[in-house]
Amino acid sequence: MKRDAIFATLLGLACLATWEVAVRVGHTSPLVLPAPSVVARSLWQGLSSGYLWPHIAHTLTEVVLGLLLGASMGFAGGVALGESARLRGVLMPYVVISQVVPKLALAPLFIVWFGFGTLPTVVMTALICFFPLLENTATCVQQVDANKLELFRMLRASPWQTLWRLKLPAGLPNIMAGVRVAAVLAWVGAVVGEFIGASRGLGALIIAAQGSMDTPLMFAVLTVITVCGLAFYKACEGLERYLLNPSSDFSTRTP
Amino acid sequence: MLTMPFLQLEALHFAYPDRGEVVRDVCLQLAPGEIHCLIGRSGCGKTTVLKLAAGLLTPQQGQVQLKGCTVQQPTSDMGFVFQSPTLLHWLSVLDNVLLPHSLHGLVTADQRAYGEQLLAQMGLAALRDDKPQQLSGGQQSRVAIARALITRPAVLFMDEPFAALDAITRDELQRDFLALCHQHGTAVLFVTHDMAEAVYLADQVSLMHAGRIHAPLHIDLPRPRQTAMRYTPVFNALCEQLRHAMDATLS
Repeated sequence: MKRDAIFATLLGLACLATWEVAVRVGHTSPLVLPAPSVVARSLWQGLSSGYLWPHIAHTLTEVVLGLLLGASMGFAGGVALGESARLRGVLMPYVVISQVVPKLALAPLFIVWFGFGTLPTVVMTALICFFPLLENTATCVQQVDANKLELFRMLRASPWQTLWRLKLPAGLPNIMAGVRVAAVLAWVGAVVGEFIGASRGLGALIIAAQGSMDTPLMFAVLTVITVCGLAFYKACEGLERYLLNPSSDFSTRTP
Repeated sequence: MLTMPFLQLEALHFAYPDRGEVVRDVCLQLAPGEIHCLIGRSGCGKTTVLKLAAGLLTPQQGQVQLKGCTVQQPTSDMGFVFQSPTLLHWLSVLDNVLLPHSLHGLVTADQRAYGEQLLAQMGLAALRDDKPQQLSGGQQSRVAIARALITRPAVLFMDEPFAALDAITRDELQRDFLALCHQHGTAVLFVTHDMAEAVYLADQVSLMHAGRIHAPLHIDLPRPRQTAMRYTPVFNALCEQLRHAMDATLS
């Protein structure tokens, strides 16, 4: 495992080195493809001057709000659809239709409805985070071992107790997989939302950098987004490890 | 041991929507402390009878009576051990045993102590904090039995709980299970397709074929029963008798 991590790091460094050499040897214009060293300089300037931080904070806020809103609604919806076959039959086609519609196409509409600023981006992010949680939660709530369901019937468990003490703990790995996917997609939603109708945030900064032909800054912002997305993914993995840890009292707690 | 029946299955009929009638006119009586084995081929309706008796299924005709009351759904007087141990992998061994109590509120010190005592009797005291996936198949079955006994049920329903175990582990579990039932005075309705297991465990063995139960065979072996009893001529004669009865039923 540790050896794999070393090889992965070496592979990344080799790619960066190849990129650097290719740009220098090929005399590629920094307007088209800046060298990694130029991007690093631009990133450092942005961070040390404090220019990037308000944009990072703005996008971070939108991602967190959108993720919390979308994931919690997806989780609640998934539980409801997983528990009720009738609800599933009635609502699931509309849920799927809502997901088939490209979210990017909705962005202009959100600006009409919610105006410019944080709200349309949060709504866009929430919409993108909603489906992975809904799908995974509904699936795991439905697919519980039939013998264990009969065991809970033998123990005269209420539907709520069966949900809380059996279905959710049993489905936790799948639910957390949905959270991980949502956490990554949240950054896509926020940045794309800012592309269309925002004056602040990392997405808006990419558009501004494009306008001023500052390609190194665009790459620097992309690097920030990548690092933040990766940090969110790792945080979700940490949360999953905590919840699935034997010492965690999540599943042994009496409601 | 055999006294007035306290579990009675009266002319039960049951059909699954997609399989037709699988239980036909089943009558059975169980006395307190009695171990009654249902034996038959796979698909003959044994598990369905067990679920009807436990209140997990509702008969289309007939009724189940426990202590004079009609069984509509599972009660606190009942325990059930499934073919697979059905342990919750996110709970420790002790928490699995205490599940029937913790599900309905906080576990008292007495209940916890009794859970630990059951685990000790099952030879699992040292594994109380382990997770089920760290245990062998036999150990998991022991935990499932301890969980079923934690509420001190009057009647225990067991659905081929030892079927997936190796012969040595199965022998050990049968011996320990008999000792526990004897100690607690628990009545048991036990489904199996193993004739030697049925003769070793049971006071009565009922043959089941095509949804019907045939006249029970009384197992006149003294208790407590030791593993060595399996190798006696009397035991073999009873197995032979059961085999003949089974052949006669099938023919």
